[in-house]
Amino acid sequence: MAIEERTISMLVNNQPGVLSRIAGVFSSRGYNIRSLCVAETINPEVSRITLTSRAESDFTEKIKKQLDKLVDIISVTDFTGAPSVQRELMLVSLLLTVENRREVLRAVDLFGCRVVTMSEDHLILEITANKDKTAAILKYFEPFGVEEMNRTGAIAVFRQKREG
Amino acid sequence: MDTIGADIVVKTLLEEGVEAIFGYPGANTLPLNDRLTGSRIRHYLMRHEQGAAHAADGYARATGKVGVCLSTSGPGATNMVTGIATAYMDSTPMVAITAQVNSDLWGRDAFQETDIIGITMPITKHSFMVRDVNQIASSFRQAFELAGSGRTGPVLVDIPRDILSAPCGDQPKRRPAAPPSKPAGNPEQIERIAQALSRSERPVIIIGGGVKLGNACDRATEFVQTAQVPFVTTMMGIGSVATTNGFNLGFIGTHGNELANRTVHQADFILALGTRFTERSTSRIEEFAPLATVAQIDIDPTSIGKNIRVDLPLVGDIREALAALIPLIVSRERKAWQERIRTDRQTLGEKLIDGGCGQAGTLIRKIQAAMPRETIAVADVGLNQIWTVRTWQSHSPRSLLTSGGMGTMGFSLPAAIGARVGAPDRDVVAICGDGGFHMNIQELATISTYRLPIKIVVINNGHLGMIRQMQDLFYEARFTTSFLGDTVDLTAVAKGFGIQAERVAMDEDPEEAIARMASAPGPYMLEAMVDPNAYVYPIIPPGRSNVEMICGK
Repeated sequence: MAIEERTISMLVNNQPGVLSRIAGVFSSRGYNIRSLCVAETINPEVSRITLTSRAESDFTEKIKKQLDKLVDIISVTDFTGAPSVQRELMLVSLLLTVENRREVLRAVDLFGCRVVTMSEDHLILEITANKDKTAAILKYFEPFGVEEMNRTGAIAVFRQKREG
Repeated sequence: MDTIGADIVVKTLLEEGVEAIFGYPGANTLPLNDRLTGSRIRHYLMRHEQGAAHAADGYARATGKVGVCLSTSGPGATNMVTGIATAYMDSTPMVAITAQVNSDLWGRDAFQETDIIGITMPITKHSFMVRDVNQIASSFRQAFELAGSGRTGPVLVDIPRDILSAPCGDQPKRRPAAPPSKPAGNPEQIERIAQALSRSERPVIIIGGGVKLGNACDRATEFVQTAQVPFVTTMMGIGSVATTNGFNLGFIGTHGNELANRTVHQADFILALGTRFTERSTSRIEEFAPLATVAQIDIDPTSIGKNIRVDLPLVGDIREALAALIPLIVSRERKAWQERIRTDRQTLGEKLIDGGCGQAGTLIRKIQAAMPRETIAVADVGLNQIWTVRTWQSHSPRSLLTSGGMGTMGFSLPAAIGARVGAPDRDVVAICGDGGFHMNIQELATISTYRLPIKIVVINNGHLGMIRQMQDLFYEARFTTSFLGDTVDLTAVAKGFGIQAERVAMDEDPEEAIARMASAPGPYMLEAMVDPNAYVYPIIPPGRSNVEMICGK
């Protein structure tokens, strides 16, 4: 079966231990969670968990059924292949040198990155994009000397269907 | 006395209809033990927490009600783990209560502190950590609701000592629960399954443990009779329809009946009721029922298609689904199919002496003949299990209890205690090997203390028989770690526990000894000495298909 990246989003009760149960559904079946994002929703009793995992194509059916059985899960949505907007936030800390400064700043402008702080020899960038784009940007900057990088993992919302 | 958390626990348990708890106390359970004392709930003091969990499991299997066990924190809680896992694997409805250290000590490695919720997460349907005295009632109500509904299973409630002791006011009354919705499933799919079955030339029904769990045994019997279709069972499904029913072909799988395995292999249509098709039932999955269209009915969506490809899945309550199916079935006489099964039954029957169970089979048959018809047999694990499930005739559901999924040695003795407590008007016989007998031997003390008239049959071959058989067949008879020896006088041990006991050699006629056991008013142990070279046949070698059975060395 084909392996593909899957984006799953869940509404869950905002309680201790819930994340652990969800992680157990993945780990006990040998799936690795690639990214994970958890935050409260408008209702403080409910959290949204968005995660990505690489798995076989029958993954959704099997894992979703297992997730649906967890008492603390309110709903499970699979974003894979559905019309949706997906974004992740990435912070990149770069070393600046006399030689690379001009090229780096040109690329910052080109990619539409936001400069968070900048000193003579150091620069922190904030990038918000879908994960293909963040990956491409990171790849571009790597040869210049990435000191540190951190990213949130994807979050997603459906593209609303417009009625009428 | 002021009302405290423990009173709320007792009150909620009473509301849920709990009559018996199997437990073992510790410092942290004391508030609860104290308040249980004056209530109508009987607390059975076991001799080990594993025994408590198995007893609750046996109680649930014998009655269909939710079994309840109680232990303290730390070692008490971890001792229950095997029992909880056993219940989980066979979907037994159970509520396991563990006391926890005071909530201000959490995470400090306090005395007897352990994260039992974390430990049991993969082997429970759900668990509750009670953090507030006002959550006690709702946590327990939800625990019982979850344990006993859908695909039933164990639920754990962890409750700290300070919350058991906390003063509290009256709790909101239990709202009358809405009757649980029991959907039959998609009517169009039911129609399709009925049509496929009616059209088929070589149909077989596979009955799993879910039929008993879903209280659908009478419906399954009606279905078999209406459809006139032969059925096989999984080990957990044995007895759902009486084993003496003419359409019964036996049970499938590793140690199943050859007729059952061969018939499934030839079938063109399979209707699976409440089974997840574990590898124990299917053996080599690629070669299981290669010609069949498979319809599967299960209350649990994750069980459908979990192990095999299913053509006609139906998520629904088995009892309701069968009720919807029965009027749609066109009964047909399938002469060629019946003739083929009849011929197979004859030729295969001749291949095995005593059904492949040898001396032990004879022993079990004679025991059943000497005991009342409604006797419950509780099998342990190993050769004794296979001998028992192949030999014991289940005339009614809940007559044969065994740890099928988990295969827990030491299950039979404590589970028999729970079965007897739950069904005091039925006789109970625990059948185990010398290996499994040792594993929860301390429960002899429980049996003795409460004078539970349980009959215990220890089939003693001085070995771990099933391990020995596998070493003999698949490891070129290099025997290692399977010899137990004869240095322990089990009969004397039983007598030491205050239980009448006797030993019988199987080359003598055991009938008189069996008669003495059957007529004894109290508990009784019969130690039957059998030949260590007596194995169980047929057996399927690892990695082979269900039709590659070995019928002898």
